[in-house]
Amino acid sequence: MPRPSNARKLRKLIAEREKSRGLLIAFEGPDGSGKTTQHKLLKRWLESQDHEVVSTRWASSALVKPMLKVRKKIRTLSVEEYSLLHAVDFRHRIETSILPALWSGKTVLADRYLFTALARDAARGLDLDWLLHAYSPLLWPDLVIYFSMTPEDSRRRIASARAPRFYEAGQDVTGIDDPLASYSRFIDRVVTEYDNLSVVFQFVTVDAGEAVYRQHTRVRELVEKAEKRPWMTFSEEAVQEWLIKSNTPDA
Amino acid sequence: MADQVKYPGRLITVDGSRGKDTAAAADAIVERMRGSGVECAISRWDASGLFGELAATARGDRNISMRTLALVYASDLAFRLRWEIRPVLEAGGVVVAAPYIETPIAFGAGCGLSEEWTRQLLRFAPPADVRGRADERKLDRPWKRRTDRGFPEYCAMMLDASAPRTLSKRARHEMMRMLDQARGRKIFTLSDKGVDAIAKAITDNRPGALRRSASRPRNARK
Repeated sequence: MPRPSNARKLRKLIAEREKSRGLLIAFEGPDGSGKTTQHKLLKRWLESQDHEVVSTRWASSALVKPMLKVRKKIRTLSVEEYSLLHAVDFRHRIETSILPALWSGKTVLADRYLFTALARDAARGLDLDWLLHAYSPLLWPDLVIYFSMTPEDSRRRIASARAPRFYEAGQDVTGIDDPLASYSRFIDRVVTEYDNLSVVFQFVTVDAGEAVYRQHTRVRELVEKAEKRPWMTFSEEAVQEWLIKSNTPDA
Repeated sequence: MADQVKYPGRLITVDGSRGKDTAAAADAIVERMRGSGVECAISRWDASGLFGELAATARGDRNISMRTLALVYASDLAFRLRWEIRPVLEAGGVVVAAPYIETPIAFGAGCGLSEEWTRQLLRFAPPADVRGRADERKLDRPWKRRTDRGFPEYCAMMLDASAPRTLSKRARHEMMRMLDQARGRKIFTLSDKGVDAIAKAITDNRPGALRRSASRPRNARK
């Protein structure tokens, strides 16, 4: 932890950066809800408006992705290991790509964020309080867009495209051999968790059943109206820790 | 989330500020236990191979924070609990975990992580029946910066790449201070005497079935 004099300096620095920092927008929702499509459309639109945009995807850090991939492939992860390895990936992306981009004024679009872990891992039976603890200190997004759909619709969309993968289908916890049957049961729990989280964390909901263009129009409106959640109120600890670790020249 | 199960087996934990000494102390306990007829399993750091893979992946870019490393430790510990520790405890055996939860808590605190955060993160691990502390034998020498010695040395090497070199020195002092804190439990210092005391603590309390007969059982022919 920083010394009191340093802490004061860091707080001042964070407050000064508030105005010029970028916006963090998270896309959340069950599989097949069209997050990635909307994420791409928004990115293209923001770039056409001369915004610098950085995209970040779930489980994509160069450090952790290979470790996760091989363990998922041989299906050796327990519920805790699965959750903790995703937490490692998330923390590493926060420190090496999300915060540096926001600090330099870029907009960050996150295709899935913290809430994916909370919904999936809570659906696997882990304690929500422990999960929030593992992911803390939290960097709160300025806007969370939740693409809402029923479990049946999610199942139908996934089934029409491909067979769900082992962990995606929750086969590690349901014990059902058929991926689609397992997915049907697992996605029920995931959507319930998402719905609870959307109330607690005040997501902005978009109906994933609407036409792609209508959804995109709604997303644009939301982004245009979006206000920053002040770092000093919501994410001070996470930003301070990153500043200390990264030896940012301004700090 | 916290493991409240009362296992029939016994868990001995060994923590210390230097990986090599921790491993040596664990080996000494296992040897002593086997000498007194008690079969004893051992669970070591990085059984999952995560740290090794991480070091290989991050060869060029070691932009890793202490919090990230603590999360990797938690994942490795979850692996060790599943494959090495809980099965032995459930079968009523004795297992030595070296290191266990006090090492990352103490090292994390030395690097600025809150003790409470790491303790809560690792709360899925069952409590130890007997706690041991391996003191450093070569205090005057700096840690060897290697990725295969133990958690503190590994972290010092990974973190020093992005932080001042004084970090590992400061962390080491803080770590020793924290490992001395008993938190209401007896801690055995793992000198020769301490190893004997641990073996006695276990053999005096363990269920009778744990004792492996040194000679052939009388009813063997039947």
